[in-house]
Amino acid sequence: MSMDIEVLEDSSHHRYVLNMGPQHPSTHGVLRVLLELEGEYAMHLLPVLGYGHRCHEKIAEFKPAKSFMPNTARMDYLGALIYNHGFAQLLEKAVGIEVPERAEYIRVITSELNRIQSHLLWYGAYLLDLGAFTPIMYAFDDREHILDILEDVTGSRLTYCYFRVGGVSKDIDEKFVTKTRAFIDRLRSRYSLYETLVNGNVILENRLNDVGDLNPHTCNRYGITGPLLRGTGVAYDIRRAEPYSIYSQFDFEIPTATKGDCMASFMVRFRELEQSLRIIEQALDGLPEGPVMAAKVPKKLNIPAGDYNSSVESPRGELSFYLVSDGTDVPYRLKVRTPSYSNLSVVPEMCQGMLISDVVSAMGALDLVIPEIDR
Amino acid sequence: MDINKVKKQWQGLTTAIEEVDYAVSGYDYNLSLERDKVRDLAVLMLDEGFYLVGLMAVHVAPAIEMVYQFAYHESRCRVMARTSVDENGEIATISDIFQGANWHEREVRDLHGVVFIDHPYLHPLILAEEDVDLKPLLKAEGKVKNVDAIRRKPPEPAPEPKPKVVPEVKPEATKNQEQS
Repeated sequence: MSMDIEVLEDSSHHRYVLNMGPQHPSTHGVLRVLLELEGEYAMHLLPVLGYGHRCHEKIAEFKPAKSFMPNTARMDYLGALIYNHGFAQLLEKAVGIEVPERAEYIRVITSELNRIQSHLLWYGAYLLDLGAFTPIMYAFDDREHILDILEDVTGSRLTYCYFRVGGVSKDIDEKFVTKTRAFIDRLRSRYSLYETLVNGNVILENRLNDVGDLNPHTCNRYGITGPLLRGTGVAYDIRRAEPYSIYSQFDFEIPTATKGDCMASFMVRFRELEQSLRIIEQALDGLPEGPVMAAKVPKKLNIPAGDYNSSVESPRGELSFYLVSDGTDVPYRLKVRTPSYSNLSVVPEMCQGMLISDVVSAMGALDLVIPEIDR
Repeated sequence: MDINKVKKQWQGLTTAIEEVDYAVSGYDYNLSLERDKVRDLAVLMLDEGFYLVGLMAVHVAPAIEMVYQFAYHESRCRVMARTSVDENGEIATISDIFQGANWHEREVRDLHGVVFIDHPYLHPLILAEEDVDLKPLLKAEGKVKNVDAIRRKPPEPAPEPKPKVVPEVKPEATKNQEQS
């Protein structure tokens, strides 16, 4: 931790400012938070963003919309396929391209695998933040299987660019199906391990219970979505609320908790693993034959003038692409509304008056991915 | 939330309410309003239980357009509310109503230079402090389109077949010529 300590002129002498980040292990990337401390209590927090800013929204205004697809993967590196999904869907809606059913199934299967690996990484890394080293080894072991499965079909392990306007770039094969089914069984057999190792642990309970309280009204004021919102008892999931792709065909639950503290969102995320597996299972059972790309996707994709929105459920909450077109194939303006951006903005209010160690608990529960905040 | 009741309240605040085809546009209502009604709308939306998805600016002529996006938890109701900034590039903040707007407004200040009146801390967020006047998302001169150019065209003008077919091909042809 950086030791940039300065005495504030305008407050009592024992208040000082501490820089947490931008290279702090629990800020997961390059986030800096200025903590005004009184003893070990954070009296005032000021997140400082922008270290990873690449202005993707400006890049989008300079090339045909179709070729923006790889950029979407580089915003949220843990939910790359879900970003692919949101963006592909945006253009398909705008231009009116029908996606073959098999492609939609593949999209759902790979997106849900992507969601599980994101949750597994968060699970391991969060517990590491809290001082438990072992769980990340188990979580990464499981996560590795997903990366291998997705690598075979997408060609990459992290920043996937697998979806295309009109479908996906490559069909899945029998090997993919077998490996995915094996993974489903494997992860299910590991729940009891995670539960005995972590979930009932008394240290974890003391670190998470009643820390970082949120309520539905706060979530509305800040635009908080995803597991944090579901931890306050609101069963809001874009996959259910505004069913996109073929999510309406699957039977899955939206896990919720009521307390709104860190433990609530922790348990919501953990239970979401099983729901994602259920979706994958149903999708594999019903996987139809057929093409994986729409027959006619124009090379030059002229988007009719107007504005278009596409919202999907990322592992962290609501992701919205909002495109303004002037009738050409290059977006006039593209806005990416990323979930972590709104979720992080609650920190100054949520963490005020907390112990530094609780700040780490509370910020870890936000499941931050900094590149999607900075964009 | 009773959508008819909300719609009635919108009528007092907006100049136009348009129902949009969700299957194409991805949202349900398009509201146009005067800039001095932005805060009233925000209060109404918060009271009705909407959350702020985000807000953004589009650089068009004659004035930068602000788009506020709201959505609702219990049933699908995604709303875009649009207005324009005044001649000084200023508009009232809604960050005291929707605290999440605080950062979105700072971002718009960074990227488009819109000033939010009464914002508690309009300090660079996304950009570095020395780039405070960079305004990277403003279009280059000559590239700024009129606001009509980004509006959805009315569906299928039946009498003439031209608008359906020709604009698909023609801008491409002319554009290629311009490039070469």
